[in-house]
Amino acid sequence: MKNQSIEFNFIQLGMQKRRRRWLLVTGILTLSACLLCCLMLTLGNTVYPVNDVIRSLMGEQIQGVTFAVNTIRFPRMLAGLFAGLAFGIAGYIFQTMLRNPLANPDILGITSGSSVAAVFCITVLHTSNKIVSIASVVAGLATVIVMYFLSKGRSFSIGRLILIGIGIQAMLDAVISYLILVSAQQDISAVLRWLSGSLNGSQLTELPPLMLAVIILTPIVVIYGKQLNILELGEQTASSLGVSTDKTRIILIICAVFLVAIATATTGPIAFISFLAGPIANRLVGVGASNIIPAGLVGANIVLIADLIGQFAFEYRFPVGVITGLVGAPYLIYLLIKMNRKGEL
Amino acid sequence: MEKTHLFRADQLASGYDDKIILKNINLEIPSNKISVIIGSNGCGKSTLLKTLAKLIKPSSGDVTLDGKAISKIPPKKLAQILGVLPQSPIVPEGITVSDLIGRGRFPHQSLFSGWSKKDYEAVAEAMEIMNVTEFADLDIDELSGGQRQRVWIAMALAQQTDILFLDEPTTFLDITYQVEILDLLTDLNRKHGTTIVMVLHDINLSARYGDYIFAIKNGRLVSEGAPQEVITDSLIHEIFGMKCVVIDDPVSHTPLVVPSGRYHSHNNAD
Repeated sequence: MKNQSIEFNFIQLGMQKRRRRWLLVTGILTLSACLLCCLMLTLGNTVYPVNDVIRSLMGEQIQGVTFAVNTIRFPRMLAGLFAGLAFGIAGYIFQTMLRNPLANPDILGITSGSSVAAVFCITVLHTSNKIVSIASVVAGLATVIVMYFLSKGRSFSIGRLILIGIGIQAMLDAVISYLILVSAQQDISAVLRWLSGSLNGSQLTELPPLMLAVIILTPIVVIYGKQLNILELGEQTASSLGVSTDKTRIILIICAVFLVAIATATTGPIAFISFLAGPIANRLVGVGASNIIPAGLVGANIVLIADLIGQFAFEYRFPVGVITGLVGAPYLIYLLIKMNRKGEL
Repeated sequence: MEKTHLFRADQLASGYDDKIILKNINLEIPSNKISVIIGSNGCGKSTLLKTLAKLIKPSSGDVTLDGKAISKIPPKKLAQILGVLPQSPIVPEGITVSDLIGRGRFPHQSLFSGWSKKDYEAVAEAMEIMNVTEFADLDIDELSGGQRQRVWIAMALAQQTDILFLDEPTTFLDITYQVEILDLLTDLNRKHGTTIVMVLHDINLSARYGDYIFAIKNGRLVSEGAPQEVITDSLIHEIFGMKCVVIDDPVSHTPLVVPSGRYHSHNNAD
């Protein structure tokens, strides 16, 4: 009996230790995201003291500071923070559900689907921001449905899904390039962000849909996070553990598509965030519990760091998507080589 | 006894898509016993287990647990009574053994409840029964096939159900590990009164470890009962289409099937 209680403690301690690691990593990621947000507000052509930045955000008019901080830096910071959260969370959901790091919204073509709708609305229809968001979500969902039917075949195969996704993505990207070529001169700057994603020119009025989506949908996906981790064990195991598999999958996919589509409509498809965030979060925390929150925070951290690098590290200013693309592409190649070696492709 | 349940199938038919595999199955699972479903490849034994476990929807007929159709029992509630180990479970990459086994506690945890003392105890107990305690903090990728299979069964045990279904729990394992796993499952049945239903390939192990046998041929239940009654020369010939001699197992005194084949028999040699 005594022996058993020792074993019992040892198992419990191990499990609790891993859960504490989750809390620790999540805490550090939150702190670093906050720090990066402060840097986004203070750094720029002129560096303003934190004190002035806070006073300005509280509504005080300070010569020079108020315009730069309230109109340019604050919306830029918010766009980066929330888009990073949205891409990170959505990517983690798809990767975990399909049990494959390649199965993320970028490679499945969902981001491109939303981008096409956004570019089309802006250059051809000249619609309002609200319509752009709605069209992006609809196009994202439509892409998922098309993908589902094209990859269905006799039995579901993740390899086929990914290959079809890459094909669809190439087609949609061609459509975006075409729309950009034929668009009017004055739309070009607005449209260019849909090539690689950018926080340039983010305006406070554009942000409410993205912020609302993140604030409302994050609790929902966190609630379903436990089910998502059970779903990872396979359809039959999940059913036998009492998970309503179809319901869970549909709810999570819809939430994830909303997050990706609205983020894409706001900042453009910031390359590789939804791809990188999940695996990095899993590496930092371990895969014992649901990593939805850590993945979102990793996404936000990458976007903010990449944007700071893009703004200040080089002679020219690069949009955030260029920097994340530079980091993400080698990781994609590494992953392809690794999976090819294990025969998973 | 508290753990006694009435588990029945009435007029059950089932299959995949339009193809009917099981026809007119009527059976009752003996409570607190070990039952084994036997039959040749593709006869529908795995389909039967899955249909009974609600993993496949029957095309007609009912499966009932204590008089209630299992399709009407809320999924989590059912998962507190009935645990299932599927044939090929999927392992998430990089997961730790005790965390994986801990996922078996899902049906007992509510939305906001954290980990209770009871949850930890259930995991520790399941790990002890399956003899995997020493692996608790290891990555599951580091284990051998037999060890991994014990971890999977431990996850189903952490679910703490009165009834446990296992689909070929010993396939692809060496004979040593097959016997080890079947011994551990027998421990579970003897100590905790758990009702066990499993599909096994090996007819002699089925006869030894099963208290009760269901024999399936072409989607029909052709015979059922204690191994001594069911496993005879004629039934084995009927369901496997193979001539054999059934003798007494010198170790367990259960039926032992010795295939005849076309070569090596004594008569030929003379």
